[in-house]
Amino acid sequence: MATHPLATDVDGAAAAGRPRPAVTGPAAHGAGSILIDRVSIEFDAARLLVVDDVSLEIKAGEFVSIVGPSGCGKTTLLNLAAGLLPAEVARGTMLVGGKPPRKGNRDIAYMLARDALSPWRTALGNAELGAEIRGVPAGERRTHARELLDRVGLKGFEDTYPKALSQGMRQRVALARTFALDSPILLMDEPFGALDAQTKLQLEDVLLGLWQQQKRTVVFITHDLSEAVSMSDRVVVMSPRPARIIADIDIPLERPRSVRALQKDPLFHRIYAEVWARLEEGLTA
Amino acid sequence: MTGVTWPRWLIWAVRIVVLVLFFSAWEWAARAGHLAPVLFGRPSGIAEFLYQEIFVTGSLLVDFGYTIVATVLAFTSGSVAGILIGMLFVTRPNLEAVFGPIVLALNSMPRIALVPLFLIWFGLGIGSKVAIGFSLTFFIVLTNTVAGGRGVNPDHITIAETLGASRGQIFYKFTLPSAVPVIFNGLRLGLVFSLLGVIGGEIIASEHGLGGTLELMAASFNTDGVLGIIILLALVGVLITWGMTAIEARLLKWR
Ligand SMILES: Nc1ncnc2c1ncn2[C@@H]1O[C@H](COP(=O)(O)OP(=O)(O)OP(=O)(O)O)[C@@H](O)[C@H]1O
Ligand SMILES: [Mg+2]
Repeated sequence: MATHPLATDVDGAAAAGRPRPAVTGPAAHGAGSILIDRVSIEFDAARLLVVDDVSLEIKAGEFVSIVGPSGCGKTTLLNLAAGLLPAEVARGTMLVGGKPPRKGNRDIAYMLARDALSPWRTALGNAELGAEIRGVPAGERRTHARELLDRVGLKGFEDTYPKALSQGMRQRVALARTFALDSPILLMDEPFGALDAQTKLQLEDVLLGLWQQQKRTVVFITHDLSEAVSMSDRVVVMSPRPARIIADIDIPLERPRSVRALQKDPLFHRIYAEVWARLEEGLTA
Repeated sequence: MTGVTWPRWLIWAVRIVVLVLFFSAWEWAARAGHLAPVLFGRPSGIAEFLYQEIFVTGSLLVDFGYTIVATVLAFTSGSVAGILIGMLFVTRPNLEAVFGPIVLALNSMPRIALVPLFLIWFGLGIGSKVAIGFSLTFFIVLTNTVAGGRGVNPDHITIAETLGASRGQIFYKFTLPSAVPVIFNGLRLGLVFSLLGVIGGEIIASEHGLGGTLELMAASFNTDGVLGIIILLALVGVLITWGMTAIEARLLKWR
């Protein structure tokens, strides 16, 4: 795909492939950061405005959740960041790791709600798929994939095919596949949306554990406000389509956290209630 | 509903008893004059014929060889061409847009009507039989390959694109493996149709082969001979299907 025309909004430097001048201060748009500035997305064919003038700044290493009603445009926003949308549909500026979005950006690892495992690959084969496509040598990526399968609790299932794994186990493999990439930015679109409550709690803690260790940037889309509050540094609430940001709330819970332990924490419930109130306020306004 | 609960030996035992009963009844009816042997043959006559022609004169073995060689040639050429062109269509949608309707038109031609033409072009020998088998197998495998290539999971493509997979990587790591099961169904069917095409061609005109002998037997009212060859062909069909299933089970153990 050609360079994203959004780039031209940023003094043309990124478009020309020249290194951008260093920006200092909290808004340094370097590796791991995402800058969204007055971005609108409209599907011309359907004459449908999906994202309306959204501005959002995500710093390197931050864990940000995005919640919003179904069909409001959350996935579309992630797809734009991943370079999956044709350039014509978007206006405004988006910088991912300081560069305009493009397909196959090594700075990004994308995880979907559906596990999207290859049924003809074993758990190990699936876990190493991303690194394989990105050209990591076989020995290295295999060791790494094994470690991650171990981390997500799938030791002993390396040679099992997806048909013999439960849905929760499959999503664990997908999580391992995502973390097996060395990308500083993880885009996760309702990764645990299809799981039962118990498995979900387990995997949330696995994800938090990996994140706390590696401090990558996570953009996490979910329908589950409790999930968003318990894991994130910030929760961004979006309006019904066309998506606008109606609240951007800091979550002052201590790190490291355990999602399981938080379930019994009164502070967590107080914050949850506050965020809920802000959300309702925003939706009725 | 429950699955199979009988053990293997019991299934085989019942199967054999049923077959023995069937053939005994047939034999008895033919001997007692209820079934005219000229029209329906006799199991003992069929066995006698098969024994003579396979183990004594060996002439059936020669015919068998011709038929099998023609079938194998038709099947391999037809399926290799079908898979290659099919994959070309999958990866080059423009090509398919141009040639798809032409292929459809070609495939709609009744193949039996083409046999006289194939005989003129390729002669009475094995060449015309291979051509008929090829013309059936090719289109079956082509259609299945295209369907299989289309059936790739869109989530896989999304993941592949975010990973920066090249067109070649998308093809070899996603399109091809997800198409294999559907292609396999095409191959299974293609093999059966190769045999059908070859036998059909042999019946119409040939120098060797089971189809030709079958036609000869029928013309001389040797019903035992006709039925003997049909049974032989049925056995070949069963063996082919078993073989394909065994290969599939190994190749597609992830299913
Ligand atoms: N390629 C496209 N062309 C036209 N319209 C599209 C396209 N992709 C998405 N849309 C529309 O954009 C809107 C937002 O879709 P999107 O998938 O971003 O929603 P979402 O917020 O992720 O919803 P959910 O929470 O249900 O996943 C929908 O109305 C959808 O129909
Ligand atoms: Mg979505």
